[in-house]
Amino acid sequence: MSTEYARNDWYVVADVNQLAAGQVVETRLLGQPLRVSGSPDAPLVTTADGTALPAQLRYDHIWTSPGADPRPLPDIAEAAERDRTFVPCGGVRVRCSPLRAVENFLDIAHFPFVHTGILGEEPHTEVAPYKVEIREDVDEVWATQIGFHQPQAAKSATEAIETRYEYRVPAPTTAVLYKTCPPKPEAWDVIAIFVQPLAENECIAWPWMALYDEVTPYADLVQFQQEIFLQDRSILENQKPTLLPLDPRLEIPTRCDLTSVVYRRWLKRKGATYGALTTAA
Amino acid sequence: MGVGVGVRMNSVAVGLSRDLAPKRVMRAVAYGHDLAVWRDGENGLHAWDNRCPHRGMRLSHGFVRGDRLACLYHGWQYRKDGGCAYIPAHPGLEPPETIRAQTYSVIEKSGVIWVSTGNDAQGVDTGPVSEPLRSLTFFCAEAIARAAFEDTPFAGNLPQVESTGRLVAGGHPVAVLANPVTESETLIHVLTSAGVGIAAKKALSRWCEAARSVAERQAA
Ligand code: FES
Ligand SMILES: [Fe+2]
Repeated sequence: MSTEYARNDWYVVADVNQLAAGQVVETRLLGQPLRVSGSPDAPLVTTADGTALPAQLRYDHIWTSPGADPRPLPDIAEAAERDRTFVPCGGVRVRCSPLRAVENFLDIAHFPFVHTGILGEEPHTEVAPYKVEIREDVDEVWATQIGFHQPQAAKSATEAIETRYEYRVPAPTTAVLYKTCPPKPEAWDVIAIFVQPLAENECIAWPWMALYDEVTPYADLVQFQQEIFLQDRSILENQKPTLLPLDPRLEIPTRCDLTSVVYRRWLKRKGATYGALTTAA
Repeated sequence: MGVGVGVRMNSVAVGLSRDLAPKRVMRAVAYGHDLAVWRDGENGLHAWDNRCPHRGMRLSHGFVRGDRLACLYHGWQYRKDGGCAYIPAHPGLEPPETIRAQTYSVIEKSGVIWVSTGNDAQGVDTGPVSEPLRSLTFFCAEAIARAAFEDTPFAGNLPQVESTGRLVAGGHPVAVLANPVTESETLIHVLTSAGVGIAAKKALSRWCEAARSVAERQAA
């Protein structure tokens, strides 16, 4: 296990609602206990010995990094678009590798089986070819030109639609999804997942949405997303091994797994192996 | 001594036949291996490594379609021989032969499902003592669990041990089958004979619980 790469990324350790409610959050990051306190505008993150770590409020969450020289926190431009509705969905704790949680977020082939009747349904199971690349200039994984038949693509969807997707992975535990916005087809809804690695085999997934939806009550938006993540959790806690295998011989991908294949390759190349299985089992 | 001790065993009792209905899947453990045991639509029985070759999902969470087991995660379907037959994301694709679930040898005998990690599951013929009474988990090692049945009185008397390894408790024949799940957890299946009435079965069931208390107290 190496935390060397992982220490210099930024991670969510609480959401804005917790600090706004005056909570003091006792949590963990990369195996180390942390305390999150203060207010949303002046958050405080301290380690067990009282050392203060850098802390900032971004995308309705409190972020920190334990590293000496953290890489920049990924920029999500849509967060500046004030006509969007921003929805921090709360954390879902999952007993799996943080990297497995991200990989699941990047996967569409499971929609008809895991999110049946919502994000997919039989017989619409086919995944058409799409494009995946590592954008070297920004060091991000991008998957584009994805289309999928969805019975209820979002809370705002009134009928099944052919949803278009793009995925972006700006950091090993941060992924952003751009998808067709049902009430505003020319725009993208943005759904991100910020994964807090508690340990190599345990994480909290913090979904966050930036939507064009002024109609659906906030609580319903949260509930929609939470329901989907609970369905994912039942999968994630039953994958073996718990850690994400980086040796391509350990699990057998097919054509639709190109995003996962490139994500694993990218992690391996960077040495981002916290939560990964690096030796052959 | 319970059934099987002294007999060279190549198989372990992972569950009772009656607990696995057609087209159902259950999780089981044999010799430390995590298994998915399932019945196809024609009542055929299969025991596989509990791991989908695609992305490692436990196949015991899957579902049966006709004579295939499908994985819950992406719906990949596997034939009875373990070979992958269908990948829903690519309906036109013929899955390569190399994609296959690892299979184990499994049979049913005496109302019990037996799995071998070799290729010839045999099981034990418990003769007329093949009426399933119940399955219980004992949090102790196998030897302690087995011994507890001999050391637990039934209606005031210790059970007799027959030459077959079976026990007679209060005049009722009993076979105790043990499946060591870990060093400190043993799955016990208890069989009796078909002629035993309801009241006696209830009494035997309470005796099994008493044996569990004896065993777990000793292990603590
Ligand atoms: S993990 Fe089983 S089908 Fe994908
Ligand atoms: Fe999902």
